[in-house]
Amino acid sequence: MLVTWAYKERPTLIQRLDPRARLIFTLCAMLAIILVWDLRWLAGWLAFALLVYRAARLTWKETRRFWMVVLPLITFLVLITALTGRGGEEAYQTVHPWVTLQIGTWAWQISVEQVVFALSQFTRMLTLAILGLLIPFTIHPAQYGVTFRGLGLSDKFAVATDLAFRLVPSVARDFQTTLDAQRARGYELERKGAGVIRQIRNLAPLIVPVTIQAILNGEDIIDAMDLRAFGAKPRRTWIVELRYQTRDYILIALGVAVLAATIGAKLLGYGAFWVPPGWLAG
Amino acid sequence: MAGRPMLKQVLGAIIAATIVMWLANLLTQGDKATGAGWVWYFIGAVLVMAIYLFFATKPIWQVGTREVVMMAIGAVLYGVFSWATNVFQLPSVSFVSLRPAVAIPIFMGLAFGPVVGFFSGLVGNILGDALTGWGVYPVWDLGNGLMGLIPGLIHAWPNTDERVQMTKRVLMWVAGLMVVFVVLTALFPGVEHPWAGTTAGQWTPVLLILLVAMLVVAWWALRSKPDVATAVVWGALGVIVGMGFASIADIWVNGYSVATAIIGEFLPAAGTNLVFDIILVPILYAAYQNARLRSGR
Repeated sequence: MLVTWAYKERPTLIQRLDPRARLIFTLCAMLAIILVWDLRWLAGWLAFALLVYRAARLTWKETRRFWMVVLPLITFLVLITALTGRGGEEAYQTVHPWVTLQIGTWAWQISVEQVVFALSQFTRMLTLAILGLLIPFTIHPAQYGVTFRGLGLSDKFAVATDLAFRLVPSVARDFQTTLDAQRARGYELERKGAGVIRQIRNLAPLIVPVTIQAILNGEDIIDAMDLRAFGAKPRRTWIVELRYQTRDYILIALGVAVLAATIGAKLLGYGAFWVPPGWLAG
Repeated sequence: MAGRPMLKQVLGAIIAATIVMWLANLLTQGDKATGAGWVWYFIGAVLVMAIYLFFATKPIWQVGTREVVMMAIGAVLYGVFSWATNVFQLPSVSFVSLRPAVAIPIFMGLAFGPVVGFFSGLVGNILGDALTGWGVYPVWDLGNGLMGLIPGLIHAWPNTDERVQMTKRVLMWVAGLMVVFVVLTALFPGVEHPWAGTTAGQWTPVLLILLVAMLVVAWWALRSKPDVATAVVWGALGVIVGMGFASIADIWVNGYSVATAIIGEFLPAAGTNLVFDIILVPILYAAYQNARLRSGR
């Protein structure tokens, strides 16, 4: 079994930016998106997200799994919302009937607001998903620990993050070895005809040995770290050092400014749920 | 203050949350918080403080070398198992794929405490989604973290007897809440459900059956297998709180209706996770106890 990171080194501007600056900007952008329901604003954010996706030079082959899972999931959840209410925030109060579906005695009315809200919700969810997708594809796995340390997380949590990313290949190898060993003993992951509970219990011969072995191996790592006096000094050094460049400061300032501007605009009454006036005519 | 080293941070968090709530009240559309809403908010905040003050003095938040390594191992196990089950395409309910790996953060919380459980859930979910190529979903990462943190709180009671007593109390609170619901639905049977269209009276027998079944099974299990029952109950609490948090937060993040949050996210996610909690966590916990005895660590 080959475990591969989504990340690939590419000569793009996005990958040259400091990961801390990118995370701060992404967080500000996500908060700004969550604050608005205006379809025009959301469409602008979606265009921006697609532009960044394009600039990151991600291929269809790499992101196929994302599109195949996330698009149907978003569509499904938007449809349920459209069928069951106006969203938790009750973004609109009045409705203008658009189409009425009549099947026998059963009639179901679709309003203009319902359709526009579904479009806005789809745009918002897709934009948030694309911004989230870019993170694992454009931040080097070895930089997560030092990035979180740079964002103010304690050394212990940063080391744990770093260690987790580094341990992935060895745990994946143990998983594959255990799977092969169990299969040699006649183990079937998906036993045909077995009930769901039986299938879940069936996972125990795979999950238990890998987990317990990883914990026992962890004892050796604990000894090694203790022998090197881990945690004896209040602050440790990192082999990778991140340094902000001018462009990173600009990116952070841009993110904060966009969020502040969105909050200001909301206070002034902009960014609320919007229906194209032409759709309401008649 | 010395015994409660994070009191300032928690008070700060409550003040920050109040400011965010006030801003949200100004900025979001729909119903606005009324005077009664703020009273409920204040009661909630006091409840959070009370829970914090209870657990803050317990020695369950210390992070040494063992915790650092176990946090990393928990996260990597959760990440790799999540990725593997995504790849092998196990049977799924609706669009929520079955994720037996959820047993890992619950187990890590039970075995090594709340910090390890929280980290395993949070970073493990980020890792699993990163390996699968699904991006980052902060609210669900936090929800998975809570799923590991809540079972870890059991470490606040060091021995089995105390844990069983506390588990019984938790069950009594849950049962008490359900009794209130049963009484309310019996007293006001005509009240219509806001999104399901059903009336409250229709739920009375279902709630009664659930209540009795839950109490009988839990009491029997606590008497015959206290360790296993305690682990399963606290794991279930973690699943409900964690998945509930993430699903309900999506009402504001993604604009869901309450029905979408409950039917589309909470029920499929929490339902399947509860099954894994009941089946896989006891097996893992028993295997870990045996391994500890054998290795002498």
